[in-house]
Amino acid sequence: MEIKKIIKGCLAGNRRDQELLYRRHAAKLYAVCLQYSGNDEEARDILQEGFIKIFDNLEHYKYEGSFEGWMRRITVNTALEKFRSRHNLYRVDDIDTIKEPDAEPDNQDYAGLEANDLLEIIRELPTKYRMVFNLYAIEGYSHKEISKMINISEGTSKSNLSRARVILQRRVGSYTGLKKIVANE
Amino acid sequence: MNEKEANIDLLFRNGLKDYEVLPPFGVCDNILSAVRIKSRPYVFLRIAAAITVLTALSFLTYRWSRQVLVEPSSAVIAFNVPVSSPIIFLPTRNPQNLQERKESNVKSSSGSLSEVDNVIPFIEEVNATSFDYPDQIKNIQEAKGFYFAKNETSNSLILPYLNTSATNSIKLTYSGFQYFPEAIVAKPEKRWSIAAMASPTYYSSFNSGSDALSKQLTSSEQPLVSYSGGVAFSYKLSKRFSIQSGLYYSSLGQKVDGINSFSGFQQYQYTKGGPNFEVLTANGTVYTNNPDVFLSSQGTNRVITAYTNDVFDPKKASLQPVSTTMDQNFSYLELPVVLKFKLIDKTIGINLIGGLSYNLLVNNSVYTTVDGNKYSIGKTEGLNPLTLSSSLGMGMEYSLSSKISLNLEPTFRYYLSPFSDATGSFIHPYSFGIFSGFSYKF
Repeated sequence: MEIKKIIKGCLAGNRRDQELLYRRHAAKLYAVCLQYSGNDEEARDILQEGFIKIFDNLEHYKYEGSFEGWMRRITVNTALEKFRSRHNLYRVDDIDTIKEPDAEPDNQDYAGLEANDLLEIIRELPTKYRMVFNLYAIEGYSHKEISKMINISEGTSKSNLSRARVILQRRVGSYTGLKKIVANE
Repeated sequence: MNEKEANIDLLFRNGLKDYEVLPPFGVCDNILSAVRIKSRPYVFLRIAAAITVLTALSFLTYRWSRQVLVEPSSAVIAFNVPVSSPIIFLPTRNPQNLQERKESNVKSSSGSLSEVDNVIPFIEEVNATSFDYPDQIKNIQEAKGFYFAKNETSNSLILPYLNTSATNSIKLTYSGFQYFPEAIVAKPEKRWSIAAMASPTYYSSFNSGSDALSKQLTSSEQPLVSYSGGVAFSYKLSKRFSIQSGLYYSSLGQKVDGINSFSGFQQYQYTKGGPNFEVLTANGTVYTNNPDVFLSSQGTNRVITAYTNDVFDPKKASLQPVSTTMDQNFSYLELPVVLKFKLIDKTIGINLIGGLSYNLLVNNSVYTTVDGNKYSIGKTEGLNPLTLSSSLGMGMEYSLSSKISLNLEPTFRYYLSPFSDATGSFIHPYSFGIFSGFSYKF
């Protein structure tokens, strides 16, 4: 069914269309939620809140650009709101007390890593590193935009990204090595 | 360093692009229930508005039909038949001057009634023993409120009732006319009728068993909006009673939540001679017959298979997620025997309807719907091929003409015999539908 018809049905309160919209996009958006959250419960909350916002704001969708992209932005913003609400309770900058990785791994072979492995690796990152990495590397925001979005300085954003990359490279290396061992066995 | 950074960014960006993970069971319901709260007032308002409009229309139609019935529009007058005391209502502007007008008109030989507003005196002069009508009679046709027609069978002149729009009227007794009420000239009564009816129906079920498993199963099963329709023949036994039978097709169904389905499994399946998956439902066990489908359950153990999670992971095999629900559909051919009792016999008639129906299972399918397209899963086993249901309803019949009526029948149907007793429980489905359609009397 054409997305315009589904949106029209959703706006009219048609449950079947609402369900159809959910079933068509939920799996992809839930993957985004998992990417931004540290645990499954939080991801579930983000998905629920995000979808409710999507349904509430459907009337504002102007059919300009990708509808999936529009939904993804709402979901990411919902995840950021969750992050900011926690940020009000304690200074996120203080989280940056994580121990610096010892050294960067050398040339890496990323072959054999699957999407669920990558998701697992990214979710192991400290929250703020994960946020900055997701916003910069996956969503494509600049450090200036990120600094405004999660209320940190541009310098902190750059620093967090750099640290996130180092950690990710190390974890990717570990995963790849482990996979090779399992494959050889 | 920058290149490495870019590499790690690209690795995650490309690796997670279009990645999908099925959300947990229940999230959809939570979201839709929250969204529905917002849209519900509009739905209620629309329903309330529709009910108000229908009630108002019904009331006005009823009032209108009552008004039409009390007016003597269907009465006829025939000439040349002796009668004891016929009564004719005639309009007059001035009853006091009636006698004078009568005399002047009788004396007139011109027969032109245009000169007088009232024709009562003239009628009394009519001598219609044959169809050689006097000139005066012919001229009467020009008078306001009078229309003549020749009755071929009785060899008499038919005079429909006079203009009833006048507010003042007088009684006139005349031995040369006879008043026939409608019943005397009514045609033979039409006892047979054929109707085509259809309805969307709400379907659900009672569980009369005490089986714990079936109760657990029914908790995650939701009824689907179903439909029913067919042709019915009715025979009028008496003024009040009529008996009806026919052939209906009805499609019922339910949605089973918490069943993840994936496509693309055919290349991995190795089962021979049996279904890959069995799914327990309150109406029986579903056996898959589509080798391409992979099923798993969320939170329950209702999917029985050799391909358990530790043997086969659909995500690692990159199977395409299809849905998290499964639809069961049962179609029946119904042969009802229904007795109708007419409560009100007016332009809008009201009937009480009750009866039994034999239902023959003609189709049984299990599928999931993706983007409006059905993706077949299998069939439900253990269904009773023949069931018996009872129905009770109230029918409203609005006569559009003497032969055609518009019918509206809210009907509750209860299945006396269960669809299936495969799970050890006794699921008695019931449905409610508002049948609408047209009937033709002959």
